[in-house]
Amino acid sequence: MPEPMDATSPLLELRGIDKTFGAVQAVRGLSLSVPAGEFVTVVGPSGCGKSTLFNMVAGLDEPDTGGAMRFKGRGCHARELLGRVSFMPQRDLLLPWRNVIDNAILANEIEGADRKTARAKALRMLPEFGLTGFEAQYPHQLSGGMRQRVALMRTFLFERELMLLDEPFGALDALTRSIMQRWLLDVWERHRRTVLFITHDVDEAIFLGDRVLVMTARPGAVKLALPVNLPRPRPAELVTSPEFIAIKREILAAIEEESMKSFQSSGMAA
Amino acid sequence: MRGVLGAVLIVLLWEGSARGFALPSYTLPAVSEILGGIWAQRADLLSGGATTLLEALLGYGLGTAIGIALATVITILPWSRTGIMPVVMAVNSVPVAAYSPLVLLWFGIGVSSKIVMVTLAVGFTVFLSALAGFDRVDRRSVDLLRSFGAGQASVLWRLRLPAAMPLIAAGMRVATVRSLIVAIVTEMLGARSGLGWIIYQAVVQIDFVQVWAAIFVASAISLAFFGLIGWVERKVIFWR
Ligand SMILES: Nc1ncnc2c1ncn2[C@@H]1O[C@H](COP(=O)(O)OP(=O)(O)O)[C@@H](O)[C@H]1O
Ligand SMILES: [Mg+2]
Repeated sequence: MPEPMDATSPLLELRGIDKTFGAVQAVRGLSLSVPAGEFVTVVGPSGCGKSTLFNMVAGLDEPDTGGAMRFKGRGCHARELLGRVSFMPQRDLLLPWRNVIDNAILANEIEGADRKTARAKALRMLPEFGLTGFEAQYPHQLSGGMRQRVALMRTFLFERELMLLDEPFGALDALTRSIMQRWLLDVWERHRRTVLFITHDVDEAIFLGDRVLVMTARPGAVKLALPVNLPRPRPAELVTSPEFIAIKREILAAIEEESMKSFQSSGMAA
Repeated sequence: MRGVLGAVLIVLLWEGSARGFALPSYTLPAVSEILGGIWAQRADLLSGGATTLLEALLGYGLGTAIGIALATVITILPWSRTGIMPVVMAVNSVPVAAYSPLVLLWFGIGVSSKIVMVTLAVGFTVFLSALAGFDRVDRRSVDLLRSFGAGQASVLWRLRLPAAMPLIAAGMRVATVRSLIVAIVTEMLGARSGLGWIIYQAVVQIDFVQVWAAIFVASAISLAFFGLIGWVERKVIFWR
């Protein structure tokens, strides 16, 4: 029986999700709920299951039986989300034989969009992504920051309500990273998608998010969900404001506790 | 440039030792003698070379197509791998030349048996390299395309095929030389024309200058083919 789509229900809802790889339990009892339009950032110790969470929400991996997954108010299997969520994996994964434009329209091409129309649209988006004049370049000719912007453009062009960004700025230097963060917020304010954003940088998580989720050490679950009630648009100096620092202190304390746990458990195993 | 110098050096050395030691032509005829032989026999060598090249090219085209097609089927239908691979490996465990008596028996001593042999040899080479190429594709890239809603065919066309191109091309490059060798060897075992047949006839008539003349023509064709495919490879796989 189809359940009615209700305007107040969250866009994505996970209840008690587990995921086991052989002997390794990557995620245990993970629950979260993301209302439409929200920018949610996820931080946690490395190996705690963040990418695993994304793989499930992108439809690539099925969670263990027992948990519940709801998308747009409707219960569903992970695989039903293939093609319905805009996913940007941890590496840019640009195809070396496609130039910037053709990499950007990859998802549209797969959906069966007309290539000419898609290219024209991507071409109009180039300035917004700081790629003007680079449409015919190939990935090996681009810097890391530019490759990341092409990957982001590919993700944005695949117009889905939910966007999953897995450490998109993880490999960039600090300066480029802070420019990219402000740029992303700018683009996001204009396109207004629901975003789940993984990062290992606490400043980045607070600066970008409406809400920060802190994950426990493996097996991963949500340890703490902290709203970030800081006004937008957010200036770069925000990171030194007392409100920002207060949030950061709370998050760092939670992460510290989890890091100690994983350190102790691995220490005991060794 | 260095390659040209090297070639000139070898030719000079060859010419010098053949003349200097006054070697009989069944040991090693002088290069000038061989070139003279090629000129004298140019009509025969030209038509023989044309036959061999035709067999090699047709077999090469067929073998490449079949090799890539078979690797594609196995990739799209993973369950077919367990059925196809053991058969392929069993057939491939024997040198291709071992099948030539059977192929000659089945397809006669005309052109078709040579084409079948070349197809077999090229097919295996390209099949194995294509399969390795398809399998080598990064799982995360496959997942990315799947997340966009891509099916097996779309992943194959947009990702696996281009990603496998470098390995397929390497296999195709090796297969150029192999296609000529197999065509010539099969001709030597039974044919009505072709460079292999000319070599066989010349051996029977103890005409070693002509043996060498045919070998020279064969290597020239083989090198040109190899060079052409290598050139196309560099044009097509520009991103390496
Ligand atoms: N496909 C897989 N097979 C086996 N183990 C996996 C797989 N994917 C992830 N894991 C394991 O699950 C745990 C969580 O990984 P991941 O979600 O990538 O962590 P991170 O939070 O750093 O993104 C790790 O211990 C990892 O080794
Ligand atoms: Mg990760």
